Amino acid sequence: MRIFDRSNADYLLRKRILSLVVYGSAVIFVIYLIQLQIINHQYFESKVVENSIKTLYLNPLRGIFYDRNFEKIVDNRIAYSIVIIPTEYDKKNNEILEKVLGLQSGYIDKIIAENSKQPKHLPIRIKRDVDYALAVWIEENNSFLKGVKLQTENQRLFRKDVAMSHIIGYMREISKSQYEAEKEFYNLGDFVGHVGIERFYEKILRGKKGVSFVIVDATRKEVGLYNDGANDIQAIKGADLILTIDIETQKAAERAFEGKRGALVAIDPKTGEIIAMVSSPWFDLDAVSSVTFKEVWNSIVNDPQKPLFNRATMSPNPPGSTFKILASIAALEEGVIDENTTIFCGGAFKFGDKVFKCHGAHGSINVVKAIEKSCNVFYYQLIFKIGFDRWTAYGRKFGFGSKTNIDLFEEISGIMPSREYFNKRYGPRGWTDGFLVSLGIGQGEVNVTQIQLAQFVSLVANNGKTKRPHLVKGYINPLTGEYKEINYPEINVEISQKTFDIVKKGMFLVVNGYGTAGRIRHPEIKIAGKTGTSQNPHGEDHALFIAFAPFEDPKIAVSVLVENVGYGATHAAPIAREVILTYLNQLNKNKETKNYNIAMSNF
Amino acid sequence: MKINKKLFNEFEIGIVLCYIFLLIFGTLAIYSATLNNPFAVEVFPKQIFFISLSFLILIAVYFLHPLYLKQLAIPIYVLSIIFLLVVLFKGKIVYGQKSWLQFGIFGFQPSELAKVGIVFLLAKLFSEKKIDPNTIQGLIIVAAVCLIPLVLVLLEPDMGTSLIIIFVIATMLFWNGLSLFGAFILSMPMICAFASFFGTYAILTVLFFVAAGIIYFKKDIFVSSSILALNVGAVFLPDFLMKFLKPHQQKRIMAFLNAELDPLGSGYNAIQAKTAVGSGGLLGKGFLQGSQTQLRFAPEQWTDFIFCVISEEFGFIGSVALIIAFIILLNRILKVALMIKDKDTFSSFVAMAAFAIIFAHFFINIAMSVGLLPIIGIPLAFVSYGGTSLLINTFLLASVLNIYKNRKYYS
Repeated sequence: MRIFDRSNADYLLRKRILSLVVYGSAVIFVIYLIQLQIINHQYFESKVVENSIKTLYLNPLRGIFYDRNFEKIVDNRIAYSIVIIPTEYDKKNNEILEKVLGLQSGYIDKIIAENSKQPKHLPIRIKRDVDYALAVWIEENNSFLKGVKLQTENQRLFRKDVAMSHIIGYMREISKSQYEAEKEFYNLGDFVGHVGIERFYEKILRGKKGVSFVIVDATRKEVGLYNDGANDIQAIKGADLILTIDIETQKAAERAFEGKRGALVAIDPKTGEIIAMVSSPWFDLDAVSSVTFKEVWNSIVNDPQKPLFNRATMSPNPPGSTFKILASIAALEEGVIDENTTIFCGGAFKFGDKVFKCHGAHGSINVVKAIEKSCNVFYYQLIFKIGFDRWTAYGRKFGFGSKTNIDLFEEISGIMPSREYFNKRYGPRGWTDGFLVSLGIGQGEVNVTQIQLAQFVSLVANNGKTKRPHLVKGYINPLTGEYKEINYPEINVEISQKTFDIVKKGMFLVVNGYGTAGRIRHPEIKIAGKTGTSQNPHGEDHALFIAFAPFEDPKIAVSVLVENVGYGATHAAPIAREVILTYLNQLNKNKETKNYNIAMSNF
Repeated sequence: MKINKKLFNEFEIGIVLCYIFLLIFGTLAIYSATLNNPFAVEVFPKQIFFISLSFLILIAVYFLHPLYLKQLAIPIYVLSIIFLLVVLFKGKIVYGQKSWLQFGIFGFQPSELAKVGIVFLLAKLFSEKKIDPNTIQGLIIVAAVCLIPLVLVLLEPDMGTSLIIIFVIATMLFWNGLSLFGAFILSMPMICAFASFFGTYAILTVLFFVAAGIIYFKKDIFVSSSILALNVGAVFLPDFLMKFLKPHQQKRIMAFLNAELDPLGSGYNAIQAKTAVGSGGLLGKGFLQGSQTQLRFAPEQWTDFIFCVISEEFGFIGSVALIIAFIILLNRILKVALMIKDKDTFSSFVAMAAFAIIFAHFFINIAMSVGLLPIIGIPLAFVSYGGTSLLINTFLLASVLNIYKNRKYYS
């Protein structure tokens, strides 16, 4: 049966057209394949790598801190954090997890929502620093807690016997802006030094991240090492810091400040090394470094005592009578007075229609006696003899009114007033020489920090020579293991030896004569010092004391501030004494061990 | 040598060799694609089972009396409509489609059977009645036969299979004498619609061909302007139809147009498929060595994207070998269709249907793997995993072998 009535040629043509379609498609495919597999092969090859190779960052150990005698101050410890991976996590487990981890209900949903912008396969930390038992529980229940993982992190391990909160400082999660600026060093979620040495030395403490390349499948599951790890880069540990702090002296200083508000700085006057530094009250570094609950943090921030505030470097106060040393130096150096020049103190000084009082009637006294007795009338008059401008210049010479550039970012410059300063503040006619009367005894509009005062005492003790105050002596190069000392610039103040001898004699008598701080006299160790009382609008006066010892060969210079307690002699001087004696005792002990070691090695 | 000569006389050895080559190639690729996948452990043994079953069908159909093929036409057609109805109500939903019937551990896709149902009935119709595809009446009769199963397949909705059915019907009409003008009228609107996805230049190019065609056929002004209007209308049709598509299909089409827009979402499969193909290079990464395959970046690798596995692991050489096998197979089938046309029209149409179905799978599947077409879920005949598809395609091929063997029987 034949239904087709068309010619064979027509069928042949139709068959050929269909055949042509087949060949045509094949040609198109081959062209496409050449384009994909041969011309653009490299591009797709790189896409495969991008697909299947994941870069894992290996976090280096952060550098740790030692004290000047290589005693460990801050160490690292492993902490466990719990993270969830949104792509794998089942929200049904919210309730049980929140219960076990002690989180508020709804917390996990909230934190997932907060991180909704980042890729879903990246872990989100829901709790830091859980205890070991909890970590084990998570690990054991791994099978039904899908997408809940343990992450090990490096945490700081602090000593229990010493606080040093403001010196060490703490870390915070990196901010968006800092991350953007230093992408090559950090990942989001990393912690960076935020305060204190942790912040100042961040660049050498952080070390260098390592990289590991792993092969992942389409579900981002790791299935092996890329190239057997040949391309991996090891992490490099951060540099360990050797601090200038002497841990025993620091302990003694902190103990002395218990229950008091204030600050202390103790410096080796020859080297500028800070032996102890206290700002009281301090805070618990553990509380702010590991699991910082909002409540804990808020209670620290909102504490009226302001424990986060570093009073040693950031609290500006009038220096009080401690500044009489400065005026004495200026007057002697400028030839306004000499050792024998006397000024009469009748118990008060009248300026215009105002009467400025002294705390006694000292009669005709010279400068040494004036320091010993802390005579106000002597200095009310002396500043006029020196002149405001010269007085300001001497203050500046000794570093007042500008930062000491200690290795902390938390520092202010204080105020060393000048003619321009007053003009600016009150207008050229707005202030009178009456202002100078107070400045003469370190009250009024002159503000100094404890670190500035400590630097000042160092300069006096060491006859005009010291180095920039610092907390870090040096560091250990993580690659070579070698200790490298950091050089700090010298500070020289050109003042004649005679002038120094005269004021130091006065300071010696403050403690060892009939002076204001006789009560801290020590039978063997000669301490020289100067008391001060700093008037302030917030109630009782602040007690101040500056000192150095031993008098013959100063090894330690101290400045002490105790807030709102009254006389410096009563409240600040004993603290200075305690710190000085502890440190000198330590030095002796070290010398003994050293001698013993030498003797043993000879033996 | 006598035996050999007689054997070749009865046995289309080219078709059989290509068939076996494709099966082996496919089996290797399926093995590789499922090797490390814990969710696909049953795939490889199942495929082996279906291949064995295919051989049985191949032998059975090969030795079938030629008359039986024609007698199977109506039962298969009716059966396929019944299955399509059942699947619509009782089907299992896979990827947003209701196209599976579950029998124990085996799934069955009625739409695969529907392809055979339609083409066998059309072949029977074309061989018994004189239907002129160049007349409206002729087209109406064809539409009447095809409409019910086609609509049922569309309702699943299985766009891929519907597309193939339309292509097969068109091919059979063409074989039945559809004039060039008829082919022009029927095909150009579809091409226009397709071109509309590719932007203004593609549309203008296609419309240029429409205009050239209108001038070439020299019809009167009414017909000519109607054709132009029809084609211009077709350009806007896809946009309009998109609104009726399921979201996952809309996404697939959008992803095809610009995969890079949403590399992790709807464009992901297209990008990963192309990446697998491209990274294969000239010689491929070697059997079981393709990282896109082994790490499961390429999607549905043992079914719709099996070509990516072959391209990645066997490279340009392997891909071209596969394409050549298809060219030989398809041309051999065409030859059978041509040589039998004077003796038995039904057989000729069956062969032509087998050609069209296998070609459509071949074309659409590879085109989507290399990024030439949007991702339409169509398996590669004889190569992809899939029981129903393999059995149905083997049945069609066996019919062609049967026709070849019995070509002297007719006359």
